[in-house]
Amino acid sequence: MPHDGMTLLLADDDSTIVDSLAPFLERAGFDVLLASDGAAALEKVHSHHPNIVILDVLMPRMDGREVLRRLRQENNWTPTILLTQVGESAERALALEEGADDYLNKPFDPHELLARIRAVLRRNRPGQRSLSAAWRLQAADLVLDRRARRASIGKKVLDLTPKAFAVLEHLMTHPDEVISRERLLDAVWGWAYPAGTRTVDTRMAELRRVLDDDPARPRYIETVPGEGYRFLAEVRGEG
Amino acid sequence: MFKRPWLGWLLAGLPLLLGGLIPLLAQALGLPIPILVFRVDTATVVFAIGAFLTLVAAGTYLGALLRERQARKTMRVISAEAERSRIRFMRRLDHEIKNPLTALQAALTNLREGQTPPERERAASNARHAVQRLSRLLTDLRKLSDLAERPVERLPVDIPQLLQEMIEAANLQPQYHRRQVSLTIARVPRRLPAVTGDRDLLGLAIYNLIENALKFTSSEDTVEVRALEDGRAIIVEVADTGPGIAADDLRGIFEELYRGTNARGIEGSGLGLALARRIVELHNGEIAVRSRRDEPRGTVFTLRLPISGV
Repeated sequence: MPHDGMTLLLADDDSTIVDSLAPFLERAGFDVLLASDGAAALEKVHSHHPNIVILDVLMPRMDGREVLRRLRQENNWTPTILLTQVGESAERALALEEGADDYLNKPFDPHELLARIRAVLRRNRPGQRSLSAAWRLQAADLVLDRRARRASIGKKVLDLTPKAFAVLEHLMTHPDEVISRERLLDAVWGWAYPAGTRTVDTRMAELRRVLDDDPARPRYIETVPGEGYRFLAEVRGEG
Repeated sequence: MFKRPWLGWLLAGLPLLLGGLIPLLAQALGLPIPILVFRVDTATVVFAIGAFLTLVAAGTYLGALLRERQARKTMRVISAEAERSRIRFMRRLDHEIKNPLTALQAALTNLREGQTPPERERAASNARHAVQRLSRLLTDLRKLSDLAERPVERLPVDIPQLLQEMIEAANLQPQYHRRQVSLTIARVPRRLPAVTGDRDLLGLAIYNLIENALKFTSSEDTVEVRALEDGRAIIVEVADTGPGIAADDLRGIFEELYRGTNARGIEGSGLGLALARRIVELHNGEIAVRSRRDEPRGTVFTLRLPISGV
């Protein structure tokens, strides 16, 4: 997928990371703008209106989180991916509150970053809050209240363990995207380990049982053999 | 010597107190003391009481000082031990990071100077491998720090099912594809009860033990996983017929980044057993190891998980 004419702002204070990532992203067809601190990143978003912003969390002058908060306060919904240092769930919850479209833990494979950029750009509805920043997600009759950490189908509240809820949340904020087991582990558990992929399958079985979703004829979650899972139903976000 | 120094001072001050009080009492009761006649004036009483109070105060103060000094000494011993363990950890970490970095540096040089495409491809693959090693180390370090902070789930965990899953997961790894791990579960007189705890964490601990057993043995060796109960706890054993662990290493084996003589040249973050120990402790359980290097040789890791769990 070429990205000719698309502008990408990459903000990271570590020059070795920027020096390696910028040419890679340019090869993928982006016009890459660079910023080495948060304040400069904010300025460049205002002056250049990039199509997507990649923000490191730890930066001098203004951290990535603050940049994102300010953008969203200005009602600027430019798709943004946060590069986080730790995969703690607290950090992820913060990312949600601040309206990041996705986040990626360092260290990462540049191809993974590119895949995330593409997915975020595909999901993006210009000028609108992204699904990952919405407090309430709805797919057919399935409703996910992220503030109350409660899922329901119609009037029936679903009995989900916190992990299963987090898995469903991740799938619903990334609809129509194939999510590998490793990525789910990283996003929901905070760390991946070899046996973890089985762990994901166990939670998925729990989730499907509660959602009454038949893997052979899924309404919500589809298994993509050898790759992972995909949330099929169309998702709408509110609030 | 008194355990509480103030007691000593108080006892030392007691004669003065009595010496002051007795004449006073005698005077008050109008009983003349036949041997010596005292005239106790107000000044003497004030002086006696003052002297007494001074003595008590001095005694208490000195006692407190002594106690504080003792406490400081204990603290110094504890913090010296913490400092030693921190330095030990930093040294080990330094070592664990330097190795993949050296490999990475060499791979990058080969990548730059390599003449043929296969040479360069090999260099790139070595660089990737070094990066993976570093990432694994970081991930395990993060798991360790996460364990201290993240909440532990409290749900019933079916241990036999978890053991089965973890064995399958180990077999999914290409290098352990053909390795046999046998599983024995006690079923009589009743099925094993569930343990209350965090399924994912317990799975990680068990997986680490199984993976270790496979890693440190050859394909001719046997690896056995067994589970039984003793009424209060479920006991999980991961046993192998491998080379065994040296007695010197057994002491340090659950420490972070500890590398025994067996582990040299074998890849791993050096945190697997430390993680397993932390997880088991979070479930109020115990982890132990016994090993023999003479025939019949082998190693058995034992987990004791209380049925009531966390």
